[in-house]
Amino acid sequence: MSSPVLDVIIVVTSVLLAASVLLALYRVVRGPSILDRMIATDVVLASIMCGLGGFMALSGRTDLLPVLVVLAMLGFVGSVSVSRYVTKSDSMTSGAETGSLGDFSASDWHMFSDVEEPVSAEANAQWPDDVARGIADVSDGPPGTTVPAEADDEEHQSSTRPGAVDDHDEKLTDDESGVGPGPRGDGGGGRDGG
Amino acid sequence: MAADIISAVLVLLGGVLSLAAGIGTLRFSDLLSRMHASAKPQVLGLILVAIAIGIQFPTWATVTTLAIIISFQLVTIPVATHMVGRAGYRTKHLRRSMLYRDELAEAVERAEAREIARERRREHGTDENDG
Repeated sequence: MSSPVLDVIIVVTSVLLAASVLLALYRVVRGPSILDRMIATDVVLASIMCGLGGFMALSGRTDLLPVLVVLAMLGFVGSVSVSRYVTKSDSMTSGAETGSLGDFSASDWHMFSDVEEPVSAEANAQWPDDVARGIADVSDGPPGTTVPAEADDEEHQSSTRPGAVDDHDEKLTDDESGVGPGPRGDGGGGRDGG
Repeated sequence: MAADIISAVLVLLGGVLSLAAGIGTLRFSDLLSRMHASAKPQVLGLILVAIAIGIQFPTWATVTTLAIIISFQLVTIPVATHMVGRAGYRTKHLRRSMLYRDELAEAVERAEAREIARERRREHGTDENDG
């Protein structure tokens, strides 16, 4: 245990694990949604498990093996429970991203995870996808996308699925807005049942 | 001494994988990419560390406990990752522009069409499942 090679390897491993934990903690602080925070917490837990295993291997504490079992089970239960009860309303930090969930239009609904282009994100929130990318014609705009009343309506309907048919939009809104963190709170639990 | 060096190198590889997961979690721009990065030390890093422990203490009690831990991880990590990915897909935490092909969207569309057809049948009162 006193070889200099071994000492160097131990120090380097400690530095790597500490750096990994710090990077993952930065993602926990900054991550826009709760799922990103869950992923980063899993990375922290995996680093702790690797460090604990290395400590066991190099210091002879085999009585810590049940701790490893408990940590493995803890990570599983944490991930499953958090991702089971995540909803669209509480899954975003408000103001952390430019394309927050209230700004989604019906045709452009992916996440913007970097803040460097707030202007184009605003434009994407107001215009459909092909128009915002300059593919389609922007001479007079699509019908009814930039009316201010539409913006209020969009904010109201932010919990609906964007691919829904028009005459079922009202029904879906009424269905999903009244549901809290229940069994359908993750955005329609029965959608993949058929 | 050689066993010590080998197990220390295995632990070092586990640390390298953990650092890769940390960098990927920080730098990737998408939930699915971050999930891809974070799965590495959870499975392979833990397997390497378990091999290191098994080299140091080759007794039956230790090795069977390590086998239990590894098999538990191999069973539960895909389940947990699937749950996180499903929640991310439903709450739309994915970049459409980074996907080559979305096969789940086609399945969701088919299921929604089936749902709408069932709804229309129920409105017209010709539901054969009603009796």
